[in-house]
Amino acid sequence: MSDLMSLLGLGSAGIAAQNSGVAVASNNVANANTEGYSRQRVDLESVLGPPLEGGVRAGDAQRYASNLLASRIRTASGSLQMSQASADALSDLEASLTSGATIDGKIAALFSRLSQVAATPTDSVARDAVVNAANETVTNIHDKATAITDAQHAANSRIVDNAAQATLLAKQLADANKAVARTGDPVAADRRDLLAKQLSDLTGGSARIDRDGQLRFVLSGGAVLVDGTHAASLQTTPDPTTGLAKVEVVDGNSRRDVTGAIDSGKLAADLTFRDVTATRAMSQLDQLAYDLATSMNTVHSANAALDGTTGHAMFVAPAAVTGAAAALAVDPTLAADSANLAVAAPGTGPGDNKGALALFALANQNVASGGTKTLTDAAIEMIGAVGTEGAAAQGDVARDTMVSDHLAGLRDSLAGVDTQEELTNLARFEHASSAMTKFVSTIDGMLSSLIENL
Amino acid sequence: MRITDHRLVDMSTAAASTNQSRVADISEEVSSGLRVSRPSQDPSAWLAAQRARVRATLADGTAQAFETGHDHLVATDGTLSQISDIVMRVRALAIQGASDSTSADGRASMSTEVRGLFSAAVVAGNTRSADGEYLLAGASSLTEPFDPATGAYRGDATTRAVTTDATTTQLASVAGSSLTAANGVDVFATLDRLATALSTNDVATVRSLVGDLDTATSQLASTRSQTGSMMAVIEQARTAHGELVTHLATTISNAVEADTAVAASELAKATQALEVSRAVSSHIVSMLNPTSSG
Repeated sequence: MSDLMSLLGLGSAGIAAQNSGVAVASNNVANANTEGYSRQRVDLESVLGPPLEGGVRAGDAQRYASNLLASRIRTASGSLQMSQASADALSDLEASLTSGATIDGKIAALFSRLSQVAATPTDSVARDAVVNAANETVTNIHDKATAITDAQHAANSRIVDNAAQATLLAKQLADANKAVARTGDPVAADRRDLLAKQLSDLTGGSARIDRDGQLRFVLSGGAVLVDGTHAASLQTTPDPTTGLAKVEVVDGNSRRDVTGAIDSGKLAADLTFRDVTATRAMSQLDQLAYDLATSMNTVHSANAALDGTTGHAMFVAPAAVTGAAAALAVDPTLAADSANLAVAAPGTGPGDNKGALALFALANQNVASGGTKTLTDAAIEMIGAVGTEGAAAQGDVARDTMVSDHLAGLRDSLAGVDTQEELTNLARFEHASSAMTKFVSTIDGMLSSLIENL
Repeated sequence: MRITDHRLVDMSTAAASTNQSRVADISEEVSSGLRVSRPSQDPSAWLAAQRARVRATLADGTAQAFETGHDHLVATDGTLSQISDIVMRVRALAIQGASDSTSADGRASMSTEVRGLFSAAVVAGNTRSADGEYLLAGASSLTEPFDPATGAYRGDATTRAVTTDATTTQLASVAGSSLTAANGVDVFATLDRLATALSTNDVATVRSLVGDLDTATSQLASTRSQTGSMMAVIEQARTAHGELVTHLATTISNAVEADTAVAASELAKATQALEVSRAVSSHIVSMLNPTSSG
């Protein structure tokens, strides 16, 4: 009798164990579309005992996961986010620089007008056309300078937003560490992995799980953002000179500038775009505007206006290279009266055109970029550099997408939920549970008969 | 490798999305006619096309300049032709006036005609271009070059060059100084002196001026010849410009324009790939749907 009672216990444990399998399979199916979810399994183990006892018991649900793979996915995802964000920022800037008339086109049009005024140097229509072309060149350079500045400020705003988001994620990651330590729940571990990936998407860096089971998140350069259950914050402070945000890891009273250290994720893309790409483009545009104004002024001021006077500037002389694009302006006296256009050699008459020819000759002289390029080539190459960088970023996106897809496949192979497979598991556990129920019912019948015959 | 049903769906969706992007890209290429519309699509091709566009803009400017120069030369040649015709007529009158058979009254009458021709010649010498410049004034092109009363030249010897391409210029004007003593005889002064000699019946002077009129004739012929040479060079520049424009258009086309036939073929292939990937996606979804038949 006591053996039959033991068999009832075995049956009961068996039903419980099989039901655990049903529960885990159902949970897997329920989370088939949950981002970051790792499928779980329940391991059944036989209970040792005498031949008629024994039985089965279910262990805790285990998640299919690989910390190494998760680390590779974080790294690849950070890299993909960086290249994608770079490609987007560069594409926007490229569109601004190439939409409508380009700078090189406007400068070429100015030279074209100068060649025409050389054929009719006293013609007010031709002289006005030169002044209009100069004004249009100035407007175009202003527009492009504004576009670069806007793109730079947009990147700066994204940096501020993403730093705030990273601070939030770091705190959530520390909380997830706490939950994993407290409960050991696989779902908490999934959430922690997901948060670490989202943080990597923003900041790059690396996360490792130490022997104590706690995840530590370290930025490139060594600044610790999350250490177990403790999180530092990523704060932005405007630089007093540029007004652009510098990024600091703040932990209590400690502040560490990581602006130059972040080398992956969206933050790195925007920092690189803001501090390298846009800064270089603006610097090249400033240099172009400076070279345009100074080279034209040198020739223009040496020649004579319609009234024979010399010393007239064509553009307002730039004070310095920095800011020259935004400050570029046609000389007010020329803008007011095209008679001040100096296209005649000094000491000749108004019908002379040697000044106009000398101004036109600048089109083919290396007067830009330290005497290495023509003005139009410098303008073309400034835009081309943004395009080349954009093409490289798009190539990086394609490469990083391939790597990420490959790793997603590996993760899916390991941890993804296959609903067909889970339905099979469900049926398998359900059948086993039914069989155990029948087994219990049979034992119950035997016990009833035994009791009745007593 | 274990591949889940979700992975199959993701992969087929990604394939359909990639093919859809490809169709969109090629459609844009076909509709715009441009293979490269942004530098990032093909940096070196965009740079080559942009440089060609700059050259084309400069070439357009120089073309307008040398066409204006050509127009001035045509007008100048017309003026010189008028003056030349006048000088020929005056020379005929001078020969007639130098003849012993011509009476004093006849010379007086000739003088009146020569005076009229002198005025007509000065008016011709003071011809202006369409843009208001005096054609023969040199750099002083806003001032009448020849004194209407005396025919004295008040301009200078400056000639004007125009651009014929990005780096070359060509003279495209002659100054009225070519009709002055500096280059032979002073044409208008010679006419004036002849008119005076005829009116005063000064036969000796009339005879001596026939030689000067011969010199003036050859002076005008030489100046017209120079004008013709300048126009010929501009004609050559016009031909070269046409070839350059064709070359630059070809360069731009080769660099950034789409080959319509190739693009259409690519569009057909991409569309077919998209349809197949959609069919595969649909098949996979149907296969994974436990409630679907079959």
